[in-house]
Formats: sequence, structure tokens, C-alpha cells
Amino acid sequence: MTRLFRIGIAAAAILTLAALPASAALRVVTTTEDLAAIAREVGGDKVEVTALARGYQDPHFVEPKPSFILAVSRADLVIAVGRELEIGWLPTLLTSGRNAKVQPGSNGYLDASLNVKILEIPTGQITRAMGDVHPQGNPHYWLDPANGRLIAQAVRDRLSLLDAADKAFFAQRYDDFSSRLGVAEKRWDAMMAPYKGTKIVTYHRSWPNFMDRFGLVVMGYVEPKPGIPPSPSHTLELITDMKAQGVKLIVVEPYFDKKTPLAIASQVGGRVLELAPSVGGTKEAADYIKLFDYDVSALAAALKSVTGK
Amino acid sequence: MDTTLLVFLAAPIAASLIIAGIHAYLGLHVVERGVIFVDLSLAQIASLGAAIAVYQGHDPHDPAIYWMSLAFTLIGAFVFAMIKGHEANIPQEAIIGISYAVASAAVIVVMSKSTGEAEHLKDMLVGNILSVQWPEVWLTAGIYAAIAVFHVVFRTRFLEISTNPKAVAARGISVRLWDFLFYASFGLVVTRSVAIAGVLLVFCYLIVPSVGAMLWARRIGSRLAIGWIMGAVVSMLGMYFSVQFDLPTGAAIVCTFGLVLIVMALLRPLVVRG
Repeated sequence: MTRLFRIGIAAAAILTLAALPASAALRVVTTTEDLAAIAREVGGDKVEVTALARGYQDPHFVEPKPSFILAVSRADLVIAVGRELEIGWLPTLLTSGRNAKVQPGSNGYLDASLNVKILEIPTGQITRAMGDVHPQGNPHYWLDPANGRLIAQAVRDRLSLLDAADKAFFAQRYDDFSSRLGVAEKRWDAMMAPYKGTKIVTYHRSWPNFMDRFGLVVMGYVEPKPGIPPSPSHTLELITDMKAQGVKLIVVEPYFDKKTPLAIASQVGGRVLELAPSVGGTKEAADYIKLFDYDVSALAAALKSVTGK
Repeated sequence: MDTTLLVFLAAPIAASLIIAGIHAYLGLHVVERGVIFVDLSLAQIASLGAAIAVYQGHDPHDPAIYWMSLAFTLIGAFVFAMIKGHEANIPQEAIIGISYAVASAAVIVVMSKSTGEAEHLKDMLVGNILSVQWPEVWLTAGIYAAIAVFHVVFRTRFLEISTNPKAVAARGISVRLWDFLFYASFGLVVTRSVAIAGVLLVFCYLIVPSVGAMLWARRIGSRLAIGWIMGAVVSMLGMYFSVQFDLPTGAAIVCTFGLVLIVMALLRPLVVRG
């Protein structure tokens, strides 16, 4: 085993040396495609970005593959969503990658959640009776474009720290992204304006930032608790509540089973809409701005059909 | 193949060889006894113990979780050892299947009453061979070595109990006690292996090498040797496929087991004559 080990280390050293002059770009590894899209916006051709989880996968559960370990071992910067979203797979991956540069706490590790607006952070004492508490708040925060801008800022600052020579380049790329995002935000706000205050139901708690931003009210969830499949009593309760409050739209993430949402929708005479929770969650959501283009227009069309506005 | 990866795969490779070693041996017993699904059942009973410990408010990384799942494994071992003695014409596989289904459902029920941490329980119980770290490998090697010594010392007794329990009982030896010792030591191994490698992979390490060996040989000694070689070869080959085609490692090894078994069955006429 030790011999195999030595051969491996020698091979690693040779390959690393050989690879150095070829690519001077910073190697950035992100856990999700959203962070990869933002890193590409800011880093341009000065970075080489790899996303681990695909946008149509549930980021809570990702099956590690050998290429993930290799990507982490060679990375200059690892960007994670944080808030315990990747707790099931990222810590062991960082250990397996044996790359001191990208361990939490070092300059090569960026927790993108540190300066953004986080919702659903429990206040006061957390008790077991409260049930589904995420102690660090809801990790699906990238679904608010304002947070996207803050993530881009954090990426700009960190890239400038790692590659000070290109500081002005990153600043200019960030400004450009921020102003394009600003134009797009006006468009999205206008599309969603007629539906302010409309109540909807979602499958998982993936959408608080998105709905909060566009003024929609999430009145219930198909899951009784995050990660727990729908139970009959919860489903019946939800149907009763939806009927009483005239709620007709259920938003579902692509990786959940649509049987229960469809059954609920047929009971209340409403409809089920699949939105992309991440870049790459659907073909159209190819980058961060296109993700919102897709979700906002799909949601606006669905709301138009169920509300008649 | 990218050789850089060998550095990172050293721990998973070591873990898979250790698991292959002990499971190929235990698999011979399990196949002899005709209790093919006993490992799935014991692993699920162990998960139920862990789920209950989490429900009681223990942190998922608390050692209490391990002790609770161990206690449940021993209860399961006790039940399987006792039930064999009854002459009620109920096949033991039926009891094992029922235990599996009920324990799996009970885990879901307990988790639904548990708090948010429960969603991480699934990852903890079903390990991923690629994420194995060296400390886990050493701990596992230690535990398995102790169990292996126990089985080597009493190898004749264990083999007799598995192949011809009636003859042993006729000599006035407690079959139930030895059955319990077998299932208890087996449960210890399986609980540990599932935490490292996941349910599917452990099942294959247990059953496929001894089935492959039965295709080619009759004597227990030769079957054990074939099982060990097959386990080791498939581990390495599966890792190679996983790296070469960037596949999830556990699933790649399981599929490799299937392929190699088919090849062994096709080659059987050449190996076994008459």
C-alpha cells in the first residue's frame, strides 16, 4: 500500500508541475451551478470554474464521484452555499481532497452565505417541539437576485485577494454583472407586480427568498417537514386550507415526485408548476440571469392562468 | 487512467479489500444457511436503533447512536437465533424479510417524528465508499481482525452449525447459543460495513463471491479462496471503472460484481468438468 502511495504522490507531483505553466487561471470549484454561474460572471477568463452538483439534482444529497475529489484537490478556491446545505457530502469531500488551500477558514474557501440576507433563522431557544428548524436559516438564499449581487461581491473580493494583479478586471466584471442584473430586476418586478400578495404552496422550503422578493405568500408546504414525504393527514389539512383560502398554485422542484402535488391540485382545481431552483435545473436556465428569466416568466404565466389577472 | 487519483483512492481501496476479506468468508455461511437477506435485515434493525437514539435527542455524531444501533443488532441476532429452533414450518427467510420490512418502515415512522437532523441520518447510515477516511479504515480493520480471530478459533464449530446443525444438536451442543454468536458477530461486521460502504455494496460483497465460488468449486477451502480473489479483483476493477468513466464508486463496484458473475457462469464449463 505504501508503495502504491508513493507512486501516486510522485505521479501527482509530476502532473501538477506539468500542468502549472499551461493554465495560469484560478481553478474555482463550486458546490452548485448557481455559484459557478456567478463565479464565471465575475471571473471571466481569469478563472476556470467547475460545479460539482448539477442544477437538476437535490443539493442536499449528492453522490460523490472520483472527479469531485480530483477537482477539490486541484482547486485554488472552493465556493460553498453554506448554511448546512452540503453538510452531507462536502466535509468528507474536502478531507478526501487533501488540499490545505481550500479548507474552511483558509483564503481558498468561501462560504457564500456570510454576507447575504438569510431568512427563517430561528430566534431564541431552539427546542425539539419546534420541529423542522434549520439552525442556520434557510440555505436556498441564492433565489433572490439581491442576494445574487451580494454573492458576486463576495466572489469579487475573494478573487481579488487570491489574484491581486487582476483586481481591476474583477471589479469591472462585477460592475457589468451588477448593472445587467439591475436592468433584469426591473423587468422581473414588472412581470410579477400584478400578483403581489397572491398565496401559493411549495413542495420543499426552497423558495422563501424568491417569493419574499416578488411579494408572493407561501401559505403551506407539500412536505410536512423538510425531507419527510407527505403524510395523509398533512395532505388533507393542506387541501382544506387551500380550498378555504382559494390557493390554486403548487410550485415543485424538479427532483421531487409530482404524484401528491398533482392529486392536491386536482382536489382544489388548481395546477402544479415545476420551477428551476438552480442554474441548469432546466435547459433554459443557462446562467444566473436566465434562471430568473425562466422562473419569473413561467410563474407569471401560471399565476395569470389561475388568478385571471 | 489518471494516476493522480490513486493518492485519494488509497483509503477506499484499503476499505474495500478489508470488507471483501471478511464478507467473502461470512457469505459462505450465509449461503450455506440459506439466509441470503439477513445482512439487509440486520443493517435495517441497526438503523432503527440509530433512528430511535436520534429521536431521543442524541446528536447524530454522539457515540450513543452507535451503542443503540449495536444493542438493536444484538436483539436482532437473538431473534434470528431463537426462531431457527422452532419447528413451525415457517421458513427463516420469511422472518428475515418481515424484520427487514418492519424495521425499514419503523425508521421512516421514527424519523417523521424526529426533528430536522433526521434528514442527515440517511447519509450517516448509508455510507459511501469514496468518502472513507483512514481513521475509519483502521478502526474497521481492528474490529474485523478481532472477529476474524474469534471465527478462526471456533471455525470447525461455526462451519458445522451452518452446514449440519442437527448433527451438532445431537451431540448435546446448544445450537441456539452458537447461532446467536454467529449472528451477533455477523451483525457487528455488517453494521460497520454498511456505515462505510452502503447497503447495496455490502450485500454484494457478502453474497456474490460465495455464489461465484459455488459455480466453480465444491470444497469449502477452494470456495473461500475463489471468493477472496473474486472480491479483491472486483473491488479493483470497479474502482478502475469508477475512475475511468467518472461513475459513483459504490454503484460501479456493484455492477462490476454482476458482470464478473456472468463471466464466471459462462466460463463454468471450462473450469468444472463432468
